[in-house]
Amino acid sequence: MNFLTEFGVKPILLLAQVVNFLILLFILKRFLYKPILKVLEDRKQKIAQGLQDADEIEKRLQQITAEREEKLKAAGKDAEGILREATKTAEQIIAEAHVKAQKDIEKLMEKSEANMKLERAKMQQEMQAELVDLVVLALGKITGKVVSSRDHKEMIEKTLKNL
Amino acid sequence: MNIELAAEQIGHIGALPVTNTMLMSWVVTAILSITAIIVSRKVTLVPAGLQNFFEFVIEYAYNMTEELAHSKAKVFFPFIMTFFLFIITSNWLGLLPGFGTIGFNEIKDGKETFIPLLRSINADLNMTLSLALVSVIVTHFFAVRYLGIKDYLKKWFALNPIFLFVGLLELVGEVTKVVSLSFRLFGNIFAGEVVLATIAGIFAFVAPLPFYFLEIIVGFVQAAVFMMLTLTFMVLLTEKHGEEH
Repeated sequence: MNFLTEFGVKPILLLAQVVNFLILLFILKRFLYKPILKVLEDRKQKIAQGLQDADEIEKRLQQITAEREEKLKAAGKDAEGILREATKTAEQIIAEAHVKAQKDIEKLMEKSEANMKLERAKMQQEMQAELVDLVVLALGKITGKVVSSRDHKEMIEKTLKNL
Repeated sequence: MNIELAAEQIGHIGALPVTNTMLMSWVVTAILSITAIIVSRKVTLVPAGLQNFFEFVIEYAYNMTEELAHSKAKVFFPFIMTFFLFIITSNWLGLLPGFGTIGFNEIKDGKETFIPLLRSINADLNMTLSLALVSVIVTHFFAVRYLGIKDYLKKWFALNPIFLFVGLLELVGEVTKVVSLSFRLFGNIFAGEVVLATIAGIFAFVAPLPFYFLEIIVGFVQAAVFMMLTLTFMVLLTEKHGEEH
């Protein structure tokens, strides 16, 4: 062990350095490794949590999108159904209206025809009456004799009827 | 330029002789401690500045430790990291101007000799030897803790004469670990100091620059080697004997 003294090795210096090193070890462990490793671990967990959350959000978003699409599709189908029904109803209403209008027109025409007939009959009657008067007048003028108007009338009406 | 193999004594506190390397060791301890306290005072989830840097270093080292030591990483890590930080800080600090040049003259053995006030820590065998001793002793301590005293002794002593011999050889190997760890670090840094002093002695301007870069690399490599070897020894020794067969 003689060579060690040549290197200046002394047990007390060795011991002092060991103590020195252990003090440094303790300080660094307490003030450097512990907080830094803790913060590293915390961050790792936070990042993992964040990624997990992001995944969940993505999943939820997909779910919501799918749901919305489904709902939209259902709503579209419903709307189509409603539209079809409405069209059907409208067509029915129009057809009914057509039928009714036709009926009304027919009724109106019938009525007007009847009216016209009535009018014509009236006119005929009137014309007859006038004709009778005219004939009476003419006969009177021709015969120069005034026939009692009542007799005449009866006679003429009879003749007219026979005509 | 004449560099002494042994660190020069610059004073003493009571019975404790204070060498220039001892002084620097305290300085390094103070620097690291103060940095650690500054960093730890405002550790935030969103890192900034110095915290960023230490996070990078510590995370890298911790992942490496975990890869090798698995569940024991938490116990091994403080030692390994402290070895690395202490050695690299002292190595790089030793490259600063003033090391080996600032000092005073003292009459010693009747003639005047120059005593540098600052000296690179690992250019003193005391320092590297104590680090190596801590490394090996702690390794054995962990081995006993993880294996139990019975399995620990089984590593070295067996009834089978061949294994007994192998075990004894390995026991010698443990002593060699101390020597190799300490002398590797000491040799590299001391040689670096000598080279820098010699080149500076020949021509002090610009010429030593390439060697300074070299020493920066050597300082890092030696710190990493010391750390890695300690980690490997810890992992190997805390494993049960015969597990790998």
